[in-house]
This record gives sequence, C-alpha cells and structure tokens, in this order.
Amino acid sequence: MSRRRVVIPSEEELERRNTVGIQAEYISNVQATDFPRHYPGEDNSWNIDKFRDGFRVQFHKNGPLEASFSLIGIHAAVANAFRRIMIADIPTLAIETVFIENNTSVIQDEVLSHRLGLIPFKGGREGLHSFLKWYKKKPNTATDNLGVSGDHFDYNTVLLRLQVKCTHNEDAAEGERDPRKLYHHAHVYARDIEFVPVGRQARYFSGADAIVPVNPDILIAKMRPEQEIDLSMHMYKGVGSDHAKFSPVATASYRLLPTIKIVEPILGADAEKFAKCFPKGVIRLRKVTRQEAAKQGSGYEGHEGELKAVVEDPMKDTVSRECLRHDEFNKKVKLGRKIDHFIFSVESTGQWESDAIFLESVAHLKAKCKAFEKQVINMVR
Amino acid sequence: MSRESYQVPTGNSPTFGGSAAFPTREFIPDNSVSTMFYICGDCAVRVPLEKGAPIRCQKCGARVLYKERTKRMVQFEAR
Repeated sequence: MSRRRVVIPSEEELERRNTVGIQAEYISNVQATDFPRHYPGEDNSWNIDKFRDGFRVQFHKNGPLEASFSLIGIHAAVANAFRRIMIADIPTLAIETVFIENNTSVIQDEVLSHRLGLIPFKGGREGLHSFLKWYKKKPNTATDNLGVSGDHFDYNTVLLRLQVKCTHNEDAAEGERDPRKLYHHAHVYARDIEFVPVGRQARYFSGADAIVPVNPDILIAKMRPEQEIDLSMHMYKGVGSDHAKFSPVATASYRLLPTIKIVEPILGADAEKFAKCFPKGVIRLRKVTRQEAAKQGSGYEGHEGELKAVVEDPMKDTVSRECLRHDEFNKKVKLGRKIDHFIFSVESTGQWESDAIFLESVAHLKAKCKAFEKQVINMVR
Repeated sequence: MSRESYQVPTGNSPTFGGSAAFPTREFIPDNSVSTMFYICGDCAVRVPLEKGAPIRCQKCGARVLYKERTKRMVQFEAR
C-alpha cells in the first residue's frame, strides 16, 4: 500500500505550468498538464466548484459587429469548441436558389448566382431567430414544372427579386465617359435587391426590420444598354459547415494572453531600444527610485534616476519576438503566453450581434452535450 | 410521381405559373410560321427570320447571326 502524500505546488511552479514558453526558435510547454495522475501526489481532478471559482469573463469591446472578450480559466478544448461552433454551426439566412428569367449581362448565370449567395443580409431579430424555421427538402415530393417542391411556406423561405435594365441616359453631358452617368443602372448593387414579403413575413420583417443586405454598396454586376437582369431568389436558413455563405461571423478567433517577464533590469538606452521592440503601450519607461537603487543585489545600484523598462500592458503585444533578436537584452527577458487566458475576437457579418453569436454557441454546445449524455447512458445500459 | 415517362416540353406549350408571385414572360402568338429573332453579329440589332429565309442581317448585310438567350426560366444553386 503506497503512502498518500499530498503535494501542494508552489506559486512559482503553478505559474510555470500555466505559461507557454516562447523562445526565439520554438514554443515550449504547449499542453495544459493539470489533469489527474500527471503530477504524483496532486489531485487535479476536475471540480465544478474549483472551476466556478477560477473562471472569469472580461469584456474589452462590445459593438454590434465586433466583440472582444477574454475567457480566463478554461481549457483550450472548450474554447476551441466555442470558436468552431461560432464559425460552422450557428444558423444564418442566405440566398440559396436563384431563378433566372433573363440575364443578358456579361456575368454568366452561375457566376451571378454564386455572387448573390455570398451577400450577407440582416433583418428583424425575432423574425429571423424564432419565426423562420429550417427548410427541409423532402425527397420524392411532387414538383411543379419548374422543379420547385410544394413545401415552401412563409415560415421557411424568403423571396427576393432583382430586376434591373440598363438604358441610355439622355441627359448625360457631351463627351461624358463615366458609365454610371452615361447609362441608367450600369452598375447593379446589392441595394437593388427587393424584398418581397409573403404571408406572415410582413408582420416580422417590415420597416427597419426588413430583410436587406448588410452592405447595400456591394457591386453585383456591371451592364451596358440593352442588357437586363431579371431574377428572383429563395433564401433559406443554413449553417457554415454546409457552405461558407451561411457562417454568421466574418471570422471568430482567439489568442492567448502574452506574458513578458523582465528577469534582469534593462536600463538607459537599452530600455528605450527594448520599448521600441514592442507595439506602443506594451513597455513603459520608469525612473529608478532611490529605494530600488539602495536594495542590495537588485542590479539597480548606482543607476538611480535612470530609465528602466517596465511591462505596462501585455495584451497589446503581438508577440513578434523582436526583443529576442538583440543580444543586449534577449537573456534578460522571458516571453510566454498564459495557457488558460483566451482573448476572443468575434466579427459578425451583420445578421447576428457578436455577443449573441457567442451565447448561441454556448447554448449549442450545451445541447450537443445533453444529446451525447443520453447516448452514453444508453450505451451503458 | 408521374405514371407516364418524362416528356420534353415543346416550344408551343405555355409554362405554368412560376415561383411564388412572379409571372413568366408572355407567350406572344405570331401570325407567320415560326418567326424567331436573331442578333446580328456586327450591328447587334434584333433580326426577325422565318424558317427557310436567307440568313442575312437586314440593316448591315452581315451573315453571322447569333441566337437570342432562351425565354425559359433557369434555376441555379447559389453555391
């Protein structure tokens, strides 16, 4: 029978385990090691109370289109799961089918359809998230002459129309060369797409809530006189894993918080050069005080009044490792990243709000776990 | 789920109402035998041409004529 010796690691050791090492040529200590049986004598089993005490969320920026926040005290697998769900599993409305009655422009039908699919749209929140449901294409459904099955309803399909004809502009000046002045509708923009509400859609998507492109100035096609584009479109809900046009985020990404540890004093001209190796605001220069100069063995003796380098805001650092290229101070500084501090950046394309996307991804992961739990219980029965 | 095999729609039968509230283009009946419009290769004017008629543009006399885009609706996936 072995003795159960309970070991409590020191603060330094905990910090060492929590930091990813960044050297000039490689990265070290990439994996989180706080799981059971990795360190003898320590109990690192996951504990909900320990997690709740140690977990924090800090918001840095929260605009409708871009949100930046930190998740502190979480494991990389969970943070990555949130990131992947935000990109691939949050439902969004986008153009899926294009019915072209006439297209005599130079843009080919399929290219035009592809471009239309990629245009991001926005609309009334309640209508988009709770009223509109998924469109399920049932196999073997009776289709009419145009291959459109009879299960499109106001709650799963949105109808849009684009009808533009390019004509000569009689009032253009003599010698005018700009095609936008010479012709009417020479350029077809996303704002030329009309939303056609059907049934109950008029109730949810009217006025400011209407389904319109997020960026009305997206150029779809260019035309010359006698050319015309006449088409209608169906929009459905989809997910990013099916096609990138359904992804609600321009991108969602995270980075780990950088750490800069100055182990030996960097003074004077070296300190100024050191500050230039980092983006503005990361390193601040402070004067050495008399108390610091008086301390034995601190390295500041005789340097009272000089400027020394102090780490001010490591979050602004982009970790270019420039300071490791200079021999004056590359031994005096240790670069690293905190292994459980994730700085998320969520950039929405306009249909969802950025913070709503993250909350939806948390809900989605929770639903997946619940479904999984049921199957695990089934397996064990 | 049709009992008969698929039959190619001929040019004379009108198509039924299209997607949602959008009508297809009108079928314009003609008195002459199948007069179709072609586009002249040089001057881009719409040239009406009957079956069996000599292939020439009326305005500029060019002998290269292009067919117009089909009046039928085409469906695409926006992918």
